Order: sequence, then C-alpha cells, then structure tokens
Amino acid sequence: MIVGKQKPIEEIWHMVRDFKRVLVFGCNTCVAVCHAGGGKEAETIASLLKIRASQEGLDMEIDHSSVMRHCEPEYLTPVIDGLRRYDLVLSTACGVGVNFLSERIGNIPVYPGINTSFYGAVPEAGLFVELCAGCGNCILHLTGGICPIARCSKTLMNGPCGGTNRGKCEVSDDIDCAWYLIVERMKQLGTLDRLTEIQPPRDWSTARDGGPRRVSVEHIRAYEEAQTAKEGGKA
Amino acid sequence: MQCATTAIFHTYHPYGAEIKETRPYSPCRAACPAHTDVQAYVGLIAQGRYNEAFEVITAVNPIASVCSYICHHPCEQACRRCSIDEPLAVRHLKRFAIERSLQYRHAKRRHIQKTRGKSIGIVGSGPAGLAAARDLASIGYDITIYEKHPVLGGMLAAAIPPYRLPREALKEDLDDILALGIEVKTNFKVGEEVTLDELKARHDAVLVAVGLSLSRSLNIPGVEGEGVLLAIPFLEDIAFGKGPKVGNNVLVIGGGNVAMDVARSARRLGVPRVSMVCLESAEEMPAWKWEVDEAVEEGITINHRWGPKAVRRDNERVLGLEVTKVLSVFDKEGRFNPTFDHNITNFIEADTIIITIGQMCDNNVFKGSSVKIDERGRVVWSQATHMSSTPGIFLAGEVVTGPGSAIAAVANGHRAALAVHLYLQGENVEGLLPSFEREKISDMPDTVKERVARHSRIKIRHLDPETRCKTFEHFEFSYSEEDALKEAGRCRGCGGGAVVDSNKCMACLTCQRVCPYDAPKVEAYSVIRPEYCQACGLCAPECPAQAISMVSYDVRQFREGMKALIGSLDPNRHEPVIVAFMCTHHIGVGGFNLPENFRIAPVHCISRVDILDILKAFECGADGVAVVGCTTESCKFKGVHERVEARVKRIQELLSMLSIDRDRVALLRASSGNGNPYSKVCGGFAETIRNKRSYKP
Amino acid sequence: MKSGSNLERVILSGVPAVTAELGPPMSADGSEIIHKAHLLKGYCDAANITDCQTAVVRISSIAGAVLALREGLEPVMQMTCRDRNRIAMQADLLGAHALGIRNCLCIAGDHQKFSAAGRLKGHPGAKNVYDVDTIQLVGILKKMRDEGLQQGGDKLDVPPKFFIGASWTPGGEPLDFRPINLKKKVDAGADFIQTQGIFDVEVFKSQMQKARDLGLHERTAILGGIIVPRTAMMLKYMDSSVAGVSVPKSLIERMARARDAAGDDKKKAKALQEEEGIRIAVELIHQVLEIPGVKGVHIQAIEWESAIEKIVKAAGLYPRPVFD
Repeated sequence: MIVGKQKPIEEIWHMVRDFKRVLVFGCNTCVAVCHAGGGKEAETIASLLKIRASQEGLDMEIDHSSVMRHCEPEYLTPVIDGLRRYDLVLSTACGVGVNFLSERIGNIPVYPGINTSFYGAVPEAGLFVELCAGCGNCILHLTGGICPIARCSKTLMNGPCGGTNRGKCEVSDDIDCAWYLIVERMKQLGTLDRLTEIQPPRDWSTARDGGPRRVSVEHIRAYEEAQTAKEGGKA
Repeated sequence: MQCATTAIFHTYHPYGAEIKETRPYSPCRAACPAHTDVQAYVGLIAQGRYNEAFEVITAVNPIASVCSYICHHPCEQACRRCSIDEPLAVRHLKRFAIERSLQYRHAKRRHIQKTRGKSIGIVGSGPAGLAAARDLASIGYDITIYEKHPVLGGMLAAAIPPYRLPREALKEDLDDILALGIEVKTNFKVGEEVTLDELKARHDAVLVAVGLSLSRSLNIPGVEGEGVLLAIPFLEDIAFGKGPKVGNNVLVIGGGNVAMDVARSARRLGVPRVSMVCLESAEEMPAWKWEVDEAVEEGITINHRWGPKAVRRDNERVLGLEVTKVLSVFDKEGRFNPTFDHNITNFIEADTIIITIGQMCDNNVFKGSSVKIDERGRVVWSQATHMSSTPGIFLAGEVVTGPGSAIAAVANGHRAALAVHLYLQGENVEGLLPSFEREKISDMPDTVKERVARHSRIKIRHLDPETRCKTFEHFEFSYSEEDALKEAGRCRGCGGGAVVDSNKCMACLTCQRVCPYDAPKVEAYSVIRPEYCQACGLCAPECPAQAISMVSYDVRQFREGMKALIGSLDPNRHEPVIVAFMCTHHIGVGGFNLPENFRIAPVHCISRVDILDILKAFECGADGVAVVGCTTESCKFKGVHERVEARVKRIQELLSMLSIDRDRVALLRASSGNGNPYSKVCGGFAETIRNKRSYKP
Repeated sequence: MKSGSNLERVILSGVPAVTAELGPPMSADGSEIIHKAHLLKGYCDAANITDCQTAVVRISSIAGAVLALREGLEPVMQMTCRDRNRIAMQADLLGAHALGIRNCLCIAGDHQKFSAAGRLKGHPGAKNVYDVDTIQLVGILKKMRDEGLQQGGDKLDVPPKFFIGASWTPGGEPLDFRPINLKKKVDAGADFIQTQGIFDVEVFKSQMQKARDLGLHERTAILGGIIVPRTAMMLKYMDSSVAGVSVPKSLIERMARARDAAGDDKKKAKALQEEEGIRIAVELIHQVLEIPGVKGVHIQAIEWESAIEKIVKAAGLYPRPVFD
C-alpha cells in the first residue's frame, strides 16, 4: 500500500504556527498501516504541537480526529462541516488525501503532515520497502516478479550494470541489486534463458512521464452516467 | 422472548459492565450462581481499589461477608488458572477487600424511602430471604421479615458453627440490609402465630424462604432415646449457647458438609474421639474436599462405605452403631440408590450418635393455609413465576430448589424478588424471569498456558489443628496487603481484555504482532479472542487507528484525567512536579510512599501506558514523567518491558524534537521488597529533574 | 569496416589493441585536455574521454573528444544513460559523428549519488534519466548505423558510422550471469568491449572460457581492463569498495612492501610504489593478453596519464601500428 513518513515536527510547526484553530486530521487506512498518519499519530502530532505552542506562549486551539480514508467522498461528507470550523486542517493522509480534501473543503487550507513516498510492502514489522513504481505497464512476468523499474536504481531493463556490490546496489547497502535478485529468481523458476532476450527501449508514456493518469471502470461509469442522465432528464 | 433482568436492583456497575453482558462471561463469573463479577473485583483489589471491589461484590451479594467465610467458591473451581498452577484464592481475597473497606461500608448505609406504597412479607431470613429483602427494600417496597429463630440469618445463624462463620461477619451483612429500613419479627413462627393466608392479607405479597430447617432421621432400631441426636438441633444448641449433651466418643452418620460441621463442632466441644461413618467413598463424599481435609487434620476419622443398620444399646446407654457394607451408592443413571452386601457387617463404637443425613422443610409454616403441598411433602410451585398455588404467595431458596449453597440461594432470592416486583407492577410474570445460564469463555489454549508465568497461590494460613480444636474461634488468618495484591495479581483478567472496533480497524496486523499471546485473529478486521487474551493492555496503545479498547478500564482515562491529576502548577515551584505511572502489582496504591510532588497514576501493569498519556502530562506542564514497572521476572505478562522501553525511547525522541530534555522521561524498575523500593527509585529520578530549567516560558 | 576508426583498424589487423583513458577537467578551459592528449598520443590506439565519471560535472565527453581529435589523438567518446533521454542521446550522437568522432562506448553511468565517492559535493539530487539502458543504447547506435533509422523509426539522411563499444564486469555478481550479460551486449551490436579492471586473472580466465564457449570472442573484440595501481591504499580501496573488482592479497602485499621499503621518506615511498604499480600493470597486461579471445587491453591510469608511455613501452606494445 501507500507508504509515507511523518514530517519532522519542526517543519509541521512552521506550517501551522500562524493559524489559530488547527485540526490534525488522521486517515486510518494506508498511512495507519505504516504508522505515519493514523488516528494515533494524528493525536500524537496534536499533542506535540500543543506543547510547542505553549513553549512559544501561543494561544492555539489544536484538535485531532480521524476517519477511515480521505480519498473517498463517503468518508469525508459526514465530517466535512466539522472540518470547516477550523482555519487549517493538517491532513496526515497521503498526498492523495490532501489533494482530495482540498478540492472539497472550500475556503480552508489543507496542509500535508506526512511525506508520501511509494507503494510498498511490509517484510518485517516496522519496515516498509518500495516494490512498485506504478509504471502502468507491468513486465513482472518477464523478470520473475521482481520489478526493475521500482527496485533498480537505474531502471535498467537489461541489467545488471557493473555497480553490483556483493548483491547490493552501488547506491546503498540497504538496496538489494534488483537484477541480482531477478537473475537468482529466474534461475529458481528455470526461466533464466528468457533474460537473453534484449528488452527494447520502453514506452514510458504509461508511467507518470505521460502525464497524470486516470482509470475508468467502464461498466460502473456506464451505469453512473446513465443514472445521471436519467436524473438530468427528470430535472 | 423479552427478559427482564435483576439488574434493576443492582445499581453499581464497574467499568465495562455493559459490554460484558454482550460477551461470554469469565468462567469465574459464569460459575457463580449470582454471577458476581469476580474478574472485576479481583482486578480492583490488584490495584488497591478496595472500596470499589466491595461495591462490585455487594452489588449482587447481600451476604458478602458471610460468603467470604463460607462460600464453596465455584468461581475458584472454574478459574482458568486451575490447569496452569492453582486457582485464585477468590474467597480469601473477597474477605480481604471487605475487611479493608469497612469504614466505607459503614458510611454507605442508607435508609431507603418507601415509595411504592406496597408491602411484602418475607418468611425466613436465610440467604434467599435476605437477598429478596434487600432487593425489594432498595427499590422502595415496605418489607417485614418473619424469622422463627431468635436471630436473623436462618441456617447461617442457627446451624453454621462460628469457627466457620464468625457472628461479626453475619452481623455486618445484616446491618447493611437492616439499614435500608426493614421491619423484623424474630421468634415468630408463621403457621402457628398466623397462617400464610393471614399474612398475605396483611401484605400485598408474601415470599416464603424458609429453607430446609429440619433434620431427617433414620428409621433403624435403637434410634429412639438418649444419646442419638439430630444434626440441626445439635448445631442450633451450639449456636444459641445451650451446650448440647455429648459423651466422649461421638459418631457422626453422614458425609455432607453439615456432617463435617457436626463432627468438627463436636471436637471443639472437647470430645476426645470423633469419628464419622458414611455410605460414600472418599471420592464420592458430597462434603467439600477442603472441609474433609481440615476435619482429618483435626483428628476426625472417617469410615467409608458403611450403611447404618442399627443402634446398639445397653439399656439406655448407646454402645455404638451396627453397619452394613455398601456396594454402591449411585445407580447407572447416577441417582442416589445405595446397594448393600448384608453379609458383611461391622460395629463402630460410640457413646453418642449424631444423624446428619439431610434436611427437610419444616412444613408447619404452611399449616392452615391454602398453599398446596404434594404427596411427597414438597410445596407446589412454578419455577417460571416463583409462585405457589396461591396467587401472591411466592417461594424462594432451598424450600423449592432442594439443598444447595448459600450463594445459589441468593441467586434464587434475586429471581424471586424480581417475580414479586413484576407481580406487584401488574405484569404477567411468566416468561419474564431471566435464566441464569451464561456462556463462559473457554479454556486457555496450550500455547497461551505455556506463556503464563507460574506463580503459586499464596497459601491461606490456618491455626494449627491442635490449637483450633480447642475453640470455636475462626481459624483462618486474613491475607496481608502484600499477599493479597500478589494473589490478586495472578488473575488473568478473563473477559476483561481487549476489544476491537471493527469500524476503525483496517487489519494492519500491528496488534497481531504485538500480542505475546496470539489473541488477535485478523481477517477482514482484527478480532481479539477472549480465551487467549490476558488483558495485559499492550495492544491498545500500539494500534495506529486507536481501534482497540479494554473492557476492564478506559484507555483514555489518564489522558482525560491528566489536567486534574497534575492540578494547578506553582510557577515558582522548587520541587519538580512528576507524573508517575506506577505498577501496582506488588504494592497497591497506598504503599508507594512518594512525596507530594509526585502525581501518581496507578496501573495494573505499565503495558497500558500510551505515549499519548506521557505527552499529555507534558502538555499539562509536568516537569517529568516516570514509568515505574516491576522487574521482568516478577512481571505478570510477557514482553512488556521491551515494548514499553521502545515507547519511552520514542517519547524521548519526540520531546527532543521540541528541545525538551530526553531525561525528563524515564523507565524505572522498582520492587516492593527492600531491594529497590519505589520511593528510592523515584527520588533518584526527581533529583535529575530538579535542577533543570523550565521548557516552557 | 563499420566506422573506419583507428581502433577498428587495429583490431581488424589482429594486433593487440591498446586503449587508454583521458579524464576531462572540472573547468571551462580545455587546455588540460590538450595537454593530456599529448601525453597519450602515440602510446594508444584510442583514448576514452570519460563522461562525467562518478557523476561529477566535467567537460562533456563529446567536447573533450573533439579537442583530443584536433590534437591527433583518436577519441572513444563515452555516453552514459544517466543524464540524457533517447532524444538527446541520438542528437548528440549525430553531432558527435559530424564532428569526426567514430568510437562510442555505451555505459550506464554511475548513479548521481556517487559524487566521486562522496569526496565532492556533486549533484546527488539531480533527476536521473535512464530512459534507456546500455544494451538498449547499443541497439540504438546499431539501428542508426546499420539501418539509418532513429530509435523511433524516422529516417536519417546520413547514418552515423560508429564503432560501438560496451563495458563488461566479468567479476561482478551474479558471476554465472555475467557471460550471458555479455552475450546480450554482443547481440545488441557491441563491436568492442572494455572490461572493468582485472587483478584476479584466474577469475577473468574462467569467465573468458565461458565467453568463448558462447562464441562471443569472435563476434566482438574484448579488451581487458588494466587499472594501474599507484599506492597500496588505492589497491586496498578497490578491493573492498569497487564493485566487481577483487585484488589478490599478493598484489596488495607487493605494494605495501614497496611503501615500507622507503621507511619514513614519503617522497621515496611514493616513487617506490609507483614503480611497483607500473610493474604490476605490465605483468597483468602480459597475463591478460595471453588469454585466448582477448584482443587487447584498456589501460586506466587515473589522473596519471603520464604513466601510459612507460607502461606501454615496458609491456612491449610500443610502437603502435599506424594506418593511412
């Protein structure tokens, strides 16, 4: 799921200090899983900000609350009037949530409390690793399920390069060389010979390089549009 | 089926009472006939909150002091520690809590105004009658108790000997009830002085709770005459100080609890030789095992598997009892149906024989009334309504249930009180009375049992058998506070543990990873399985969605009460104000011995301390926060110190981001022994804080 | 003849080829390149002009190559995948060819985090491009040269005739995959290969055997990489920190002994180590050239271009062949 990390409290403080009534608004889906922005972390940030405010002798109202998700209107609608009581909402959802809420809340700024980073998994409790880059054209069937776009620092399609250092990427010892993993995996699967095929230059337009994307589930959209048309007809 | 509940009588609800009604009960509570919330009060004792424990106990039990001495504690037999080491000494803890809350108890006594305009006559003042009396008086009915004995209490006063039940204990219970404003008529024999029908005319309803106050006798040769006594008259004589006439060699026929009372009382009268004879083998004896053990310690011999045949006399003098060999006591269906081998006989010497083979109702109470008795001499009643054949005359207790325990009679009395109340409100009682059957949490899985630290039950100390036989004084020593807290700390909090709000949970698996006992099962959302959960409280502070709450306490308690706990702060203070989360496992709240600048937040285990609680303390201006736990070896739970250490480290990180010194928060270890007392450990911490400059302007 | 470059001719002639390396300066003034070109001219068949090596900004490889060309030194331009997308790459290649450059080495490029192993500030925050990887780039050059087409399919009026090179790290992990990795480069169209520095000759021998088994030695010219050690410390560093390079203990010990023989005299220690380093380099050259399938050496004397003359002469590789 989406993984992010809380912004340092000093940075958050500087974002919020000029406001009088602040709500720290948590999201209990992805960012709760990575312990960055769930209800608990929202309350923690609120508590820290209160202490900070009192250190500077500032009189601020700082509250906290949370909902299941910030990225679907059904979760926001029941609470959005309450959000408008504040002059700033500090959303600890991922960037998606901040965007989505900003478009709906009206005259009130929504600031981000976390830095959203990647799509990742949880190999061990408390550890989150990037495994997918959302390139829009998945080729994992060609690389044994290990993504060279997300996990190779140079996004090589025909790796490895000469920088593999004891199975780790030249960039950092914390990064496994993706191509090392790919080769070993395909050995395990008995499909190593596929790697002799040269992958031609890639069409990156399905990735973010091609502009912001959208996915439309046709059968649902067809239904929704028909409903809207009906209501439009009635009105 | 709509069910009324006896909860209308019980206004005290410990935290979590509501949610516990929707889930299986802890086995201790399910086993108690009155469903005392044992887990709640033991937990309160463990935190030194004795007055609250008293409230929980007495909410459903009007004879709490009595039970703390004589209850056969089915809760202990059901305790889930039985299959680990030994059950909690619940009864003894109950006694401790009641003794410690005596002042509170006395201050609570209140007279209740009679607001209902209806009166009820209760015949019999044993456990059932007393329970009904208290219940109905507490909601404003006018109650009169009619008791045939000179004192209230039924068999509690008349038959249970004082070495088992001190009179002072019974008096405390009675005083609580009488304080409500109940009229009492002792030495009053219903059926002689008035009939039940006449009584019914005086009141709006009558409840007959007369128990089984007559001893059964044996129809064998030689029974008539001197030297052969019946149990109840014998015990009553002792109770009322009349000094029954016994010889030097007493033989008690019977194997039940009353037989044990008779035998042990005989010992205390100074009889040098006391023995017993019963049909049952040692395993089959209906008496409670501990009674038998204590009797044997007191020098009483028991002859098993013999049936009484005849009393041998020499003129008037009793020589002993002729007995026949018993082959079996129960038949294939488990019914009492003894078989004998008449070819094998024996003779047991004795100069006094006391027959203790069971009790029956004194049907005199029904004399001249419309209340029907069946052909076997048993009063006719409906279990669904507690009513006799006469409308408005109700029945409760052993008179209708047959022989049972005091607490079972209490439960029956509650039910009857509800029936009377509904009747007087004009309701059709049928179908409205609750069943007392409750589902209980199942046994702990083996994987969990392995992880429960073994701590033996703190022994209840007795006077040695020699000494105690010389007197009718009670012979059990109360727990010291330290022992009580240790023993109460052994409780696993069954049913009092974590609960997940499925609306907030998003299956992030954190609780599953944190729990040392595998209690959470996460599919669409997490479910904490009560048979696994040990109520340690580790998971709730870790949940990133704050979806976990605890049945036994409010996880937000400290945050919400922090401002009040810290109070107003003198800006020129010399002594640092320190909030201390203190583990009460060994020492209870009173024993911390900390100076005033410490604001104490007692916890059953530091596992429940949330980083938000600590932050709140700083929000409210505390100079420092100490989390004081016991040592890892003595901790009741697994893995607590590592987790709490990580939390404290995190707080230190967060505080440093606000330029607040890390050493304003510390995780400390203390023990109740002299080794590392709480006062010393906390004092050291206060020193480090004292000279720091304020972190606020 | 694919490109007509000097390097190509030498290789075709069967004489063991010698390439060296010229590092451009961090400066807008090209005179250092001219100076270095003169140091190398005549002692190698072509010299690599590095392309922002270790992700540090220097005069670009193409500009440096042109400056070298003007001095009479045949350049091998390098193009990394890190900094340019395929459009810029192809445009630069067309331009390079128009300016007279005929050899191009395709490499991935050190990740911008490198910044000279942290000794310089560099630009670790730059967006890395890696639009295409090395093998794809080799393919692009081949397509442009042999089909006269851009990668996207548009026609080129005049195709660029490059002698296409790629790098190879025979000692990198996974070891058993490296020969296959080489095959892909060759299949894509690599005409010549320059390997990462070889110190452990045995490993290189065994990898070359595998390469020969795949017939790669006949389809491409493999030049063994020789890094000239300058100090014992440098050898140690390469063994521990440079990917794909392992140095036998014996060589490190030799350098260490040379240093120790000078006692406290720092100047003497430097001189003794440099002598030993050159000796080692020459030995390695001989050992590598003995391996069947190896068509030459690529000598890297990092920021020590002046040593090339000595080494080439001592290795018996002087004079270099000259073609009209």
